[in-house]
Amino acid sequence: MSFVVSSIRFFIIAGLLCSLSVLSGCGINNIPTKEEQAKAAWSNVLNQYQRRAELIPNLIETVKGFAAQEEKVFKEVVEARAKATSLQLPKDITTNPEAFQQFQKIQSQLSGALGRLIAVSERYPDLKSSQNFLTLQTQLEGTENRIAVARKDYIDAVKRYNTELKTIPGRWWKSLVYPDSELMETFTVSEENLKVPKVQF
Amino acid sequence: MTDRYDRKLFSLSGFSVGGKRSLFCSLLLLLSVILSGAGAVSAAEIKFPELSGRVVDQANILSPSEEEQLTAIVAGVEQKSTDQIVIVTVGSLQGVTIEDYGVQLGRHWGIGQAGKDNGVLLIVAPNERKVRIEVGYGLEGVLPDALAGLIIQRRILPFFKKGDLPGGIRAGVEDIKDALLGQKEEVLLRAKKPEKQIDPYLPLIFFAFWLVPFVYFISSVSRDRQVSGRVPGGVVILPGSYGGAADGWRGTGGFSRTSGGGFSGGGGSFGGGGASGSW
Repeated sequence: MSFVVSSIRFFIIAGLLCSLSVLSGCGINNIPTKEEQAKAAWSNVLNQYQRRAELIPNLIETVKGFAAQEEKVFKEVVEARAKATSLQLPKDITTNPEAFQQFQKIQSQLSGALGRLIAVSERYPDLKSSQNFLTLQTQLEGTENRIAVARKDYIDAVKRYNTELKTIPGRWWKSLVYPDSELMETFTVSEENLKVPKVQF
Repeated sequence: MTDRYDRKLFSLSGFSVGGKRSLFCSLLLLLSVILSGAGAVSAAEIKFPELSGRVVDQANILSPSEEEQLTAIVAGVEQKSTDQIVIVTVGSLQGVTIEDYGVQLGRHWGIGQAGKDNGVLLIVAPNERKVRIEVGYGLEGVLPDALAGLIIQRRILPFFKKGDLPGGIRAGVEDIKDALLGQKEEVLLRAKKPEKQIDPYLPLIFFAFWLVPFVYFISSVSRDRQVSGRVPGGVVILPGSYGGAADGWRGTGGFSRTSGGGFSGGGGSFGGGGASGSW
């Protein structure tokens, strides 16, 4: 009797395993895989924004040394940075449109303030030719460029993930196996001050 | 794109909902959209040059011998550190920024070893007058943006501003090589050294050097007319020396060749590190 039970159990498990391997061929793993990729791309976006925020104090100190009277711009940048770094990101930020918009707005405010700081710096020839400023400017440009790349990668990853959720067979898998997987938010082109590059891999 | 089509089709199928058959039809439609959408996404927007070697001279600014020298330098670097350097001159950036072009080209070619992401691209766009050092993820530590910027500002651009593109590329590649092989101090030293005063006059001196014998030759030819058969021989000297010394825009570089055959990217990736400049 116990032999029969155990052999039945064996067949059930073997059958399940077999069907699982067959299922993975028809895309049952696509949703979690693409979701993880999009999440990784998102954390890279956060990293790059963080990197930019860390550059700012040094930049302000350097500019101050040559253009102390531009207090208004300094204040603007410092405030925008404080807002950006103190913003508590909810865990579901990538699926929460409001929080995502908020994040995007605050970061683009900081971009704007930084742009004005650089524009002001152009008026001071001594500052412009100082080695320290040149270095910081290069770093800032590099970071802005990395942000642009990270954003583009995130947009692409979310596009692939969202497309998977919306299309067959992803739609079926979502309703059957992953009901909690939601569409992810993506950066909107209209609020972009960074040019979104075209996609090609 | 796919998204919009999706919605459109959904509304279409919404009109015709009348039974199982229409549902089946809309499913079929959706399926065809998925298939066509996949094709649309993969259509390339930028046309990249072919990775024909470690030096891809699409803009034809390097002579074959210069290409060979550069290839030897960067091949040596890969042997020592597995870092891949590729020098590319492009005829056109096709309307995108050089930063954007650089990342996409680096990923397209897969420069650098997979997993290490240790590739560097030196991109020169002579028509847009832009230059960029694109640094792979894995080399952002040894070749940070600030150092890449310094190499461009202090070493490459001075040559480029004089019209000597091969010279600037050569200087840049030497610096990148030293940075990757751990000799950052030397790069910094060279970058900070005040520019040699003789530099601006060098082409002039060369020119004068060749002008004197040339004038002498012409005058001697015109003096004794019976040796006019030697005139073509004398003229040939001038373009050769001029092209090598002063300008570098050689007429002979009109064809590209595949140097370092069998070279291919190792599958490295890029994240936008590096620096750019214009002249």
